[in-house]
Amino acid sequence: MTLVDVGLALVAGGALAGALVIALIPRHVRPLISGLVTAGVGVGGVLAGVGGLSGAAWTRVAPGLLPLGEARLSVDALSGVFLLLVGAVAIAAGIYGIGYTADAPHHENPAGSRTTQATVPLFVASMLFVPAAASVTTLLVVWELMALTSLVLVLTEHRLRPSVRDAGLWYGGMTHAGLVAIMTGLVVFAADAGGETFEALRAGAADLSPAMRSTVFVLVLIGFGAKAGLVPLHVWLPRAHPEAPSHVSALMSAAMVALGIYGLIRVGFDLLGGGPRWWGLLVLTIGAVSALFGVLQASVATDLKRLLAYSTTENVGLMAIGIGAAGVFAADGNRALAGVLMAAALLHALNHAAFKTVLFLGAGSVLRATGLRDLDALGGLVRRMPLTTALFGIGALGAAALPPGNGFVSEWVLLQGLIHSVSEGVAASPVVAVSIPVAVGVVALTAGLGVATFVKAFGVGFLAQPRSTAAATAIESPMPMRVGMGVAAASCAVLAVAPALVGGSLDRVLNVLPEVRDTAPLADSAVTLRLAGIQGSMSPLLITVGLVLSAVLVAVVVRRLAGSAPRRVVGVWANGGPERNSRQELTATSFAEPLTRVFDDVLRPEHDIDVTPYAESAYLIESVTFRQRVPDRLEAAMYPPLLATVESWGRWSRRLANGRVHRYLAYGFIGLLVALIVVAVTS
Amino acid sequence: MSAAVSTQLLDVISGAILLTAVLTLWRRDLAAIIRLLAIQGVLIAGLALLLGINEHNTELYLAALGVLILKAIVLPTILRRVLADSGEVRETAPLVNVTSSLLAAAGLTLLAYVLSGPLVALAPSAATRALPVGIAVVLLGFFMLVTRRRALSQVIGFLLLDNGITTTAFLATSGVPLVVELGVSLDVLLVVLVLQIVAARMRMAFGSTDLDGLSGLRD
Amino acid sequence: MSAQETVFAVAAAGIQVAVVVMGAPYLTGLMRQVRARMEGRAGAGVGQPVRDLRKLFHKEATRPEGTSVVFVAAPLVMLASAVFLAAVIPFVTTVAAVGGVSDLFAVVAVLLLGTVALALAGLDTGTAFGGIGASREVTIVALVEPTILLAIFALSVRVGSSDLADIVAGTLASPAHVLSPASLLAAVAFAVVIIAEAGRLPVDNPSTHLELTMVHEAMVLEYSGRDLAMVELAASMRLALLLGLGVNLFAPWGVATTLAPLALLLGIVMLIVKVALVGVALAVLEVFMAKLRLFRVPELLAGSLLFALLAVAASYFLA
Repeated sequence: MTLVDVGLALVAGGALAGALVIALIPRHVRPLISGLVTAGVGVGGVLAGVGGLSGAAWTRVAPGLLPLGEARLSVDALSGVFLLLVGAVAIAAGIYGIGYTADAPHHENPAGSRTTQATVPLFVASMLFVPAAASVTTLLVVWELMALTSLVLVLTEHRLRPSVRDAGLWYGGMTHAGLVAIMTGLVVFAADAGGETFEALRAGAADLSPAMRSTVFVLVLIGFGAKAGLVPLHVWLPRAHPEAPSHVSALMSAAMVALGIYGLIRVGFDLLGGGPRWWGLLVLTIGAVSALFGVLQASVATDLKRLLAYSTTENVGLMAIGIGAAGVFAADGNRALAGVLMAAALLHALNHAAFKTVLFLGAGSVLRATGLRDLDALGGLVRRMPLTTALFGIGALGAAALPPGNGFVSEWVLLQGLIHSVSEGVAASPVVAVSIPVAVGVVALTAGLGVATFVKAFGVGFLAQPRSTAAATAIESPMPMRVGMGVAAASCAVLAVAPALVGGSLDRVLNVLPEVRDTAPLADSAVTLRLAGIQGSMSPLLITVGLVLSAVLVAVVVRRLAGSAPRRVVGVWANGGPERNSRQELTATSFAEPLTRVFDDVLRPEHDIDVTPYAESAYLIESVTFRQRVPDRLEAAMYPPLLATVESWGRWSRRLANGRVHRYLAYGFIGLLVALIVVAVTS
Repeated sequence: MSAAVSTQLLDVISGAILLTAVLTLWRRDLAAIIRLLAIQGVLIAGLALLLGINEHNTELYLAALGVLILKAIVLPTILRRVLADSGEVRETAPLVNVTSSLLAAAGLTLLAYVLSGPLVALAPSAATRALPVGIAVVLLGFFMLVTRRRALSQVIGFLLLDNGITTTAFLATSGVPLVVELGVSLDVLLVVLVLQIVAARMRMAFGSTDLDGLSGLRD
Repeated sequence: MSAQETVFAVAAAGIQVAVVVMGAPYLTGLMRQVRARMEGRAGAGVGQPVRDLRKLFHKEATRPEGTSVVFVAAPLVMLASAVFLAAVIPFVTTVAAVGGVSDLFAVVAVLLLGTVALALAGLDTGTAFGGIGASREVTIVALVEPTILLAIFALSVRVGSSDLADIVAGTLASPAHVLSPASLLAAVAFAVVIIAEAGRLPVDNPSTHLELTMVHEAMVLEYSGRDLAMVELAASMRLALLLGLGVNLFAPWGVATTLAPLALLLGIVMLIVKVALVGVALAVLEVFMAKLRLFRVPELLAGSLLFALLAVAASYFLA
């Protein structure tokens, strides 16, 4: 009984038995049991992940379990890292859910319903089986299970807001469109390679024609890219993630999108064995656009959860930049750099999972305490909810990619991989010479805008004075929610100062992928991250220690020089103006105004100004209302035409149904004849 | 009996089945069409019996008996009752006129021969060489379903389709398992009963069983 | 490294910190004096910032009501990050006590950390000024990031590493490379970066008290006493650090490559001289410049981005 056996058995058994139990127990016990079951399933995932990362190959076949074939599971190091990621997020979200889904007094929490509570462990279990799937059928079945369970969870609060139904519709439609793309690509691949197990696909990939390989890759990119939230298939993310209950948002944003990345790596790099350079360039371009667009939308978003959802698109874009650049360099033969970039992408997936979980769980705490998601109405939570603020701050530090946060580490590795693409004396191809500096510029702008975004989210949402009574009367979250956030924040901290802990495992992951096998970029890392094959080292631990030591030194010296008299609390000066009230504070909209102006051509915000004069005179203004909306311009450019075309096809096809039975029968008959003739002619 | 005699008998019966199918397309008189269907039922039962004798298979005897009872006796009786209820005597103005129908029938029969080439090549024998007949009857039945106005004609087309499938089954694989045969027969019986009710309803609603009347139901 | 060498290296880092901490206010004073003289005023003298700091350390520190620990901790974080950078950037010697802390990306990120701390403190005051200052500061910083990273990229291509010690040592080893197109373009881009990050004209006016023109000043409006002293010292140190960084990246002569005491002394002297010269030049330029409108600043930053991009392209194609 290996660790993977134990882990996956815990996942499957725990989820099925747990769902059944949860569906039967009374309401007041459900949050505790559901949270524990989810956390238990997460523990199973972590165990399986650790087992997979230790390098031993594991395969199990269950014939007859699935309708069209056998269920085939296989866990290698690549699966292991994603199992670990999903499992860890599930543990944090599960514990958090114990507090979050509990009913408030006199108020039923829709997230505590039987359906939601029973579906959460099933969702986590289906997510955990995606990296373990080893045949096309198994992958498609668990992928669809994951989509269905998550759709159910997104629709939890459908009675409260109409936007939830809209979100569910978009999410359901796009995830199934993605499924069709993945299914087409993989089925075509399996048909040509002569077998549907991943081993058969790997073996048969070499025999495919280049056109077929590229078709498969593009289809799979569309499907997995839609799930990961890459532009232009990202439009479901800012709708679905805010509307789902917060622990589900964390699971979807941190874990599910990572599985889109997993699928891309698995099919593109492992099963297809890598490809021509343009594949990498395509992924790199899509990643760059996603990163930039995502962070731009996040920087002007005023809904906290929508901000976090767009931030997910940004981070997935960064992962895609890493993967795409790795593909470009692998195609050029530069394996060392490809290994570094792939390691950067995987490390960023782990880091993103950690800090995004903290952030979404924090947003959930705020939502539960104040009922608000709107940053323009929050504020002052640092005094009312100090622990939540501190933990959100840790997540924001990671998301802003500043040291000593964990986002900085993976971004550093990514930048190192990109800047070493040319060395003195080696002529670079023109494609690389143009794309890599642009990629570095995009990563840099993304980092800068990310800082602006999270200064806004943290500063406006949590600091200063409350901007509404709901924010002024917030109370700190119950213990399970704090513990859940704490678990996620602790993993952020560990990944921030000791990324070398996962370094060895990431090298084992790279060994699974043929193009970057044996590159072991993080092999020499311990306290300091040293990248094999290129010159560059950075020690997040030493930097953190250095900063702390400097702070201590400064504090001591200042105390010597200036004494330690406590600060007198005075009224705020504010240029000697009127009595302070919270209306004078900057809101999130005004904070982002300079950025909105700079990027006006891309964002094109819409303004509504309503001036209400007094009844007595039109020249005396009673009130002015200003409303700003920044719609998603990419969606507005691409989706309405598409939807209008589909609608017009639908309207045209009504002519096919004219009410005459004979015509319908004729359709069938002619269809049968055509099929028979085609068969006769081609055989 | 000797192989030569049984082969000849097989060919005669298959030819007769095809002939009855073509005649259904030709005749306009609904009572005559029902009679042709009954004859076809007898022929199929005979086919089954012949194959049973050749292969000494008791299941085929049972199948032949079942086919005889259902297709030659029960179903035509129900159809005659429907005919009496509806009061119509002939199929008037089919969507494709009779001449064109017969030409189409010829084309479909040729297609059936082309299609069954590879099938016959799989397991050449006297029975499988007659396979094109079964497929032709299927196609002819479908054609009738598509081009006839009266509800009763459509039912007959459906039954022709089923006859063709049964014939193909007997010729290709010496029948299907008895259980399957039973199930399919039950389905067909139910369909006819339902269509009997539908035809009565249509007559009450529209005054005739012309299916084009149903097009008034679209939005 | 042997234990003795480590001790020397730590001592050298400590000397660097002392030089920067003590020299930064004088640099600020020198720049103000040069500006004053050129504008026809007598000026307050080079040592005025030091006198101001001493005064502030003895004044009472206050805290506006409604602020939180962020407001109190921000000056500490700013000053700590400045002190940390003074220790790790190779101003006086390229020999570092520990490896892995002088990567240029990390240095830039720690500078950004200090900025972010101040921006959060500005937001924490809950006043419009603090918020406006914070919002403008993060906009400028966000837009200058691509320039910085691309300039680092251009500089690192030559040496094959983004570690500061490697870059400085590489420039010392082959001085002619400073005049290469990539290096010159990167120098121009870096000059704009220094101006933007340190809050000098034409991006921000350090001596303004009009809210329409404030960026840095707006965020520190509510500080007093030792907090204000820490913030002012940190701001001067950041300017000194940025100028020193620019000088050492593009004209590193005088930086010691060993830990010999004489070389260290030479390094200190050369550092002070070079930074003073560049500071004076910057002050002279500022006399002739007016502050740009905030919404013209992105144009300036876009121009510097173009230079940085050209620097990278030059390093690719003319490698």
